[in-house]
Amino acid sequence: MIEAHGLRKVYGEKTAVDGVSFTVQPGKVTGFLGPNGAGKSTTMRMIMGLDRPTAGSVTVNGLPYARHKAPLHQVGALLDAKAVHTSRSAYNHLRAMAATHGIPKKRIDEVIDMTGLSAVAKKKAGGFSLGMGQRLGIANALLGDPQTLILDEPVNGLDPEGVLWVRNLARYLAREGKTVFISSHLMSEMAQTADQLIVIGRGRIIADTTVEALIESQTRKRTLVRTPDTSRLGVLLAGEGVRVDQNEPETLEVSGIDPRRIAELALENRVLVYELTPLTSSLEEAYFQLTRDEVEYHSHLESHAGQAPGPLNGGSGTGAYRMSDAEAAAMEGSQR
Amino acid sequence: MSTATVSAKSTPPATAGHGVNFFRVLDSEFIKFRTLLSTKILVLGTFVAIVGVAMLAALARWSIINQMTSTEGPGGQKMTPQQAAESIPAGQAFELYNLPNAGLNIGILVLGSLAVLFIASEFATGMIRSTFNAAPDRLSTFAAKAVVLVVVSYVLSIAGGALSFLLAAPMFTGMGLDLDWGTDGVLYSLLTGGLYVSGVALIGLSLGTLLKNSAGGITILVAIMFVLPFAGSFLAFVPGDFWKYVPQYLPSEAGGRFLSIGHADGILDPWQGGLIFLGYVILFLVPAMFALKKRDV
Repeated sequence: MIEAHGLRKVYGEKTAVDGVSFTVQPGKVTGFLGPNGAGKSTTMRMIMGLDRPTAGSVTVNGLPYARHKAPLHQVGALLDAKAVHTSRSAYNHLRAMAATHGIPKKRIDEVIDMTGLSAVAKKKAGGFSLGMGQRLGIANALLGDPQTLILDEPVNGLDPEGVLWVRNLARYLAREGKTVFISSHLMSEMAQTADQLIVIGRGRIIADTTVEALIESQTRKRTLVRTPDTSRLGVLLAGEGVRVDQNEPETLEVSGIDPRRIAELALENRVLVYELTPLTSSLEEAYFQLTRDEVEYHSHLESHAGQAPGPLNGGSGTGAYRMSDAEAAAMEGSQR
Repeated sequence: MSTATVSAKSTPPATAGHGVNFFRVLDSEFIKFRTLLSTKILVLGTFVAIVGVAMLAALARWSIINQMTSTEGPGGQKMTPQQAAESIPAGQAFELYNLPNAGLNIGILVLGSLAVLFIASEFATGMIRSTFNAAPDRLSTFAAKAVVLVVVSYVLSIAGGALSFLLAAPMFTGMGLDLDWGTDGVLYSLLTGGLYVSGVALIGLSLGTLLKNSAGGITILVAIMFVLPFAGSFLAFVPGDFWKYVPQYLPSEAGGRFLSIGHADGILDPWQGGLIFLGYVILFLVPAMFALKKRDV
């Protein structure tokens, strides 16, 4: 169980974490989701007592991390896959860590086995690939068989088999009743791993909910409408809370109005409609919806494609163009 | 803790056999120290270098004495070896009893740098986060590193100094000079030499902690121990008597004085030099511990 109250971290002029409060419950995998630079790692470092909060407090299993008598048995953390001396072998690194708590050698061999490092355990950690480094970091986190596990971007650099392994491990540990807190900027990964989601953007919590509830709340019911006369239908549909996007010729994506009403409007005004398909959002889209304004580092491309490449538009950057309401309205005049 | 399911499991018995304590952190730091190949090579190389440089320094003293005894002085007589040895001015750490420390400066250079690296490399590699996750009170880690460095520096300096003396003494006894473990100051300088190197290692550890950077820490350590005294020697040319007495208060000079015996007018007594050097060590240790405790890592 992790409890944060009004946690805030300011670096000079920049506020990295802006008064976040949340609870991470045991027995569940909690995803900590947010774009790069949103404050995920800073929050995790504050949980582990590595960074001193500017304000607020955070406890793990009821105590600030540094006050635990046997911290490695309370919390295992992978904060940074590179938190290992590059010239020391993986085995010796774990040996030095285990020594601080009198953890027996048997347990070192166990975590090495568990993380599939047996073949490289005697090699220098500096020569490890990103994936191997992650595995060593996870082995390090598991060393004390902790009650709470904090993993910062654990699947970074892992191959598909490794990703699956982390996912299963997280779910297994949660089933054992442990608290599992995993950060990621990958929605798709969290969708498959997490039960609970805490979404952070620009240092603020913007959602703290279950995966299902997040999709539900962020999904605006959308309808795909194909018509040869997009501009006319666009004008007809325009109104309070209605959003009309055009990504392809003769195709509109309409939200804020149900398919039946669209059909009625088209019929009344004699506009030909040859397809009318209700769409549901994926979790990924819900996430983009939620974090659109919270992204710290906008890529240049993003300012043209309002929707980042996702499953819906093939991710191939085909020049998809999403109109805002104002732009859609402005286009009405120029088209045809 | 609201959920009952957790509280049963969330607190593994924090018994004495289970948690972190200073001796376990010390064990961990000793493991860290001896599991780096570079450290082992450096320690072995330092031992060889201490003895090697000591032999060269002994040879230099031997040839000076040899020259003084074989050439005729202004009076037309040759000096005896005893007279020649005594003509070496006191307090310059060049006396024969000081032979165990003849190679000490190499020890200072390498062990001081090793001390900087011992913590700065953890900052550089990010290892420090793993370290502080395991021992979150931080100061136990600093203290454990200090103990490791003091033990290694002391043992290495004493062993190197003892071997230096054993090898060099016959050169002088062969000239008819009286020099053995019982000679005034020999044992004293051997034992204090180890303390001096240990102190420099603690300054190195503090610099590595404060700067979090190996190259910067080593540069500043070398500047303090080797460049400052060199620069200080020019103060003797400044008009007025005052400046002449300033350089002896530098860490390297005060520490060096600690290793010699006997009183000389106008310079610090050995125990005063020792206390001043200890003051410098504390001056570096305290801010380093404070910074380590307070800073984000």
